[in-house]
Amino acid sequence: MLSEDELLGRMAQILRRDIGPSVEDGFAKTQAFMAGVILEKLSGQLRHAAVHDRDDRADAARLGTELGGALGPDDGEALRAAVATVGRAVEDPDVAVGPALNELVRQLYAERDRLGGERFTALLQRTRRTLRARLDRQLEYSA
Amino acid sequence: MSTTSTTAEGDLEGRIRDYLAGKLGAGSSLALRDVQRIAVGWSHETWLFDATWTDGAGTHTEGYCLRRDPGNALLRELSDLGVQYKVLLGLAGTDVPAPRAYFFEDDPAILGAPFLVMEKVPGVCPSPWGRQGQQFYAEAAARGVLPLSFTDALIALHTCDWRSAGLDFLGVPGAGNDFCRREVATWKSLIEQAEFDVDPILTDTIGWLEANAPATDARPLALVHGAYRTGNVLVHDDRVSAILDWETPVIGDPLYDVAYVLSELNREGTELLSNLVDRDTFISRYEAGTGIEIDLSVCDYYHVLYAMRSAAFWMSASGLFSTGRNPDLRLARTAWSVPVVLNQAARRLGY
Repeated sequence: MLSEDELLGRMAQILRRDIGPSVEDGFAKTQAFMAGVILEKLSGQLRHAAVHDRDDRADAARLGTELGGALGPDDGEALRAAVATVGRAVEDPDVAVGPALNELVRQLYAERDRLGGERFTALLQRTRRTLRARLDRQLEYSA
Repeated sequence: MSTTSTTAEGDLEGRIRDYLAGKLGAGSSLALRDVQRIAVGWSHETWLFDATWTDGAGTHTEGYCLRRDPGNALLRELSDLGVQYKVLLGLAGTDVPAPRAYFFEDDPAILGAPFLVMEKVPGVCPSPWGRQGQQFYAEAAARGVLPLSFTDALIALHTCDWRSAGLDFLGVPGAGNDFCRREVATWKSLIEQAEFDVDPILTDTIGWLEANAPATDARPLALVHGAYRTGNVLVHDDRVSAILDWETPVIGDPLYDVAYVLSELNREGTELLSNLVDRDTFISRYEAGTGIEIDLSVCDYYHVLYAMRSAAFWMSASGLFSTGRNPDLRLARTAWSVPVVLNQAARRLGY
């Protein structure tokens, strides 16, 4: 039996190779081709989903651990909470990695003045390494 | 995009005819010919046609372009046909190549939605993203006339007296970095309306833009198109016959448009800016024509802003589909464009 991503990939092929070219109406033809493109993207996303989720969570947890070690009780509570949430990404499947990282970035900018330029830059640069790796994974099926 | 049935299109044509006949005092003599619905663009629905009518002064034929707001198109939150109408009216007395605006109607009872009627300017508008368009611009680049005209049209735009043209209604930014902060806020609001989880890289980009907004006082404020590139200008006889797509005009820093021209977002497979103009030629001609020095560090800031704009644009586009407001699958596909433009932002920020 075909896996889900293989099935979507086949459907994409059929739409682009067989159905699209035989459609007369211009708008409908465009929609057929576009449906093929979308299924292809979805197929890639599904194919990578489990591995990407695992890697996203592992990266986030490492980030949480490192940033947690760099923050102290004098740092903002909301920032420390955001870091703690990111740090639970592996152990707690309910942590949504994207929103958790987004909240962390938001809190870093909110605390920028209190952190001071040097610490802010260091924490942000470390966070960006995690974001870069996550984006590279997304680009495997998006680009 | 076209989702309207043939019958509805036919009815619409009759309603356009009746409307124009009334506005032109043409009575039943008015006929529409060569009615074309333009398929490109996801913003406003656009029709081109010729109208012929007879009155006491003889027989007249005029070309018209009608744009209608379907209420579910791209940039709906930022773009308003009424504003476009007022901008085009203001530009009528300037050297900026733009269609003359004739009528704007906000009343949906007339054609089912607000619409704008303007001059049908002669020319073609090949898409720079397709093979044919790229060939068109490559050949024009080799002839050398259109690249200069493309630059000159931007010079005309940035040197036009927008106050005399009555365009200060667009909002005049204050001193310092007010223009940049306003522009970031505008596009941030589009992101907030998109009803999507915001990617952390986009949040980082917005944070960086807010923290690093440059002052623009070194240059005079200008009328800024907001998306000046090939594909948004009409070309006739190797020259720009009209600047189109006045959906995001602002009064602001002219380098905002310059950065867009310089951007890699607007060229594919070529070093030519907008697939058309040699970079050095553009910069020297623009600086000589406007007296404005191009500050590339400010352009670098705008490149990050354009990456943020692109992300906002694609999020808004895919949101139109996912919320059921627009059934065009091309909009659904744009969800996968967001990481691609975020990659551009991340590279700019040094990720």
